[in-house]
Amino acid sequence: MAKNKKGVEIAQIIPDRCIGCQICLGECPVGAIQITSAGVALIDPEACIGCGKCFQVCPVGAVRFERKRHFPINKEKREPEKREAVEFRGVAIFIEVVDGLGAQVSWELVEKGKELAQKLNVKVMAFILGYQIQKIAEEAIALGCAEVHMVDHPLLKKYISQPYGKALAFLCTEVKPEILLIGATPLGRDLSAVVATYLNTGLTADCTDLDIDEERGLLLMTRPTFGGNIMATIYCQQHRPQMSTVRPRVMKAGEKDFNRHGQVYYHDLTVADTPVCEIIDFIREVPQVGGVDITIAPALVVAGKGACDPSSLPMLQELADLVGGQVACSRPVVEAGLMPYERQVGQTGKTVAPKLYIGIGVSGAVQHLVGIQGSEKIVAINSDPHAPIFQIADVGIVGNYLQVVPLLISGLKKRLHTAGR
Amino acid sequence: MHLVCCLKQVPDTAEVKIDPQTNTLLRSGVESITNPYDLVALEQAVRLKEQYGGKVTAISMGPPQAENVLREALSLGADEGILLSDRLFAGADTLATSYTLAKAIEKLNQESPVDLILCGKQAIDGDTGQTGPGIATRLGFTLFTYVIEIPWIDINKKQIQVKRKVEGGVEIIRGPLPALLTAELELAKPRRASLPLLIFSLRAEVKVWKAEKINADQQKIGLKGSPTWVKKIFPPPLRKGGPKFDTQENLEVAVEQFLDNLLADKKFADSLLGRWET
Repeated sequence: MAKNKKGVEIAQIIPDRCIGCQICLGECPVGAIQITSAGVALIDPEACIGCGKCFQVCPVGAVRFERKRHFPINKEKREPEKREAVEFRGVAIFIEVVDGLGAQVSWELVEKGKELAQKLNVKVMAFILGYQIQKIAEEAIALGCAEVHMVDHPLLKKYISQPYGKALAFLCTEVKPEILLIGATPLGRDLSAVVATYLNTGLTADCTDLDIDEERGLLLMTRPTFGGNIMATIYCQQHRPQMSTVRPRVMKAGEKDFNRHGQVYYHDLTVADTPVCEIIDFIREVPQVGGVDITIAPALVVAGKGACDPSSLPMLQELADLVGGQVACSRPVVEAGLMPYERQVGQTGKTVAPKLYIGIGVSGAVQHLVGIQGSEKIVAINSDPHAPIFQIADVGIVGNYLQVVPLLISGLKKRLHTAGR
Repeated sequence: MHLVCCLKQVPDTAEVKIDPQTNTLLRSGVESITNPYDLVALEQAVRLKEQYGGKVTAISMGPPQAENVLREALSLGADEGILLSDRLFAGADTLATSYTLAKAIEKLNQESPVDLILCGKQAIDGDTGQTGPGIATRLGFTLFTYVIEIPWIDINKKQIQVKRKVEGGVEIIRGPLPALLTAELELAKPRRASLPLLIFSLRAEVKVWKAEKINADQQKIGLKGSPTWVKKIFPPPLRKGGPKFDTQENLEVAVEQFLDNLLADKKFADSLLGRWET
């Protein structure tokens, strides 16, 4: 038990565990805690009065404090305002409209929303904003939404942050869902931040997993943070709705069944003023010659730093063609100017979830690995037997890719031939 | 023009690694840097100042050592640096952070009306991208996220036109000032500090504002003003690695073994050999 010169039993930070969140700084009544230049908290032993508050609030158990049993955790201030929480019911999904259709990520969220709603014993609702959007309501019901709440208004024909934010915030105050899920697309990320501010509620961005704390009926939102190096589970106890954006392709969409029934409600837009912004033009991204969307390819042949030889590109393309996929790459390959950014996989590139991922000369930095976690099968070819990617690859080859890939191609061709394809 | 640039001090996440044995973060030697997207926003702010005249106020919320971020901003062309630092601000989530920054900008606005706020599109530690839109919403400024170019600003008519990245393309949108924009990397390439400005940045005063100074409601800042709480933190779920075949002894055999293993699951093999027909 550590004591200071005054004989006070003090708290100490375990630097390896500290994530530098600064929560303890705000709680310390005597200002004994500082963040060091290494980004971790440090308690001044002589200033510490041994109250144990930092121990109580630390989310990661990074405070060593021995007198914990004398200080029962003060739960009082975290109790939800029950009245408010009960008033809010149901799981709402914001359905993003793309070219007159519901976005795929929205349907993925409907499926997840059904699972959450079942645990809470409440309804799943679709919130649709736009102009002439009746068809999407039918789709939402076919995918299992029990209720559809729509604001159909010419002002919402095109997405502009403020009118949309006001309209969705308005819908939330009318319908009062306890949970609101939005796809983490550029539009969804922009919109969710505006809405959360209007509603003065918590928002957790870019979640990769959602669940319900069944004891307390709270939404548990898990997201990667610190560049994908750690995962954090976040909750929002007192404010409603509990808002979360979820990355595309993390959840799976359900099947449409047009025999399903649901209620459609139209809401008049009473809060929106004329938009102050005017969209002048939209320039659709013209796919460059050979341009591809690597996020929808069923198979990816991914070149890493160890496969940066431009002359080997045709060989990688041949392998990709053979497995019915596309060529992609990790960040160093883009930085070397060998492939365009649109083909970059990973934290700063695209999140992919192909059926088959073949990493060639990819070492497997965390930033890359977070972008491929959802892949069905991960295969690695690397000359370094200690490359981190082997720790997650389902099967690997240690060797020079220039020798391995041609044999792989001929081996696969043989098997395709035998299979009669 | 009065331009305000919001900057955040972040750990250099590219340097943060996980110890594969213990699954703990290896932070030793990890430096604090200015969020790269914020430096792009600052560069754009300084260019606008050079083009239209006026001043750039750099603002940051953080612990005392976040002063370094503001000194860097001063060395890159900001005229003034203001650090929002108070124990009461600690533990803030994005809602409390946007409140705090908005309160500070309100104060700046009283002294000299703000025309444009520039932020990075997101910070590389949290990656949320919520603070900028939150500030704009609180202040009632026109919001433009993911901006890649500012074709023009008409100061007399108080209008701005921007190009912004949206799903599937680029949108050109126009709206009134005052506005807030969040910067993509393409917006501007940060310059290097000049020697005179470097010297200026070391000598200049960085003002420190506490909660009281910006008339912040104590219920809305720091941990108290934050609706979201961290329940737990854990390493990313890593998949379990399978066998690896070494080519050192026999290349052909290793590749064959590898293929046999890959195609051992018949369902997967059929799917692959049928090129993913459903």
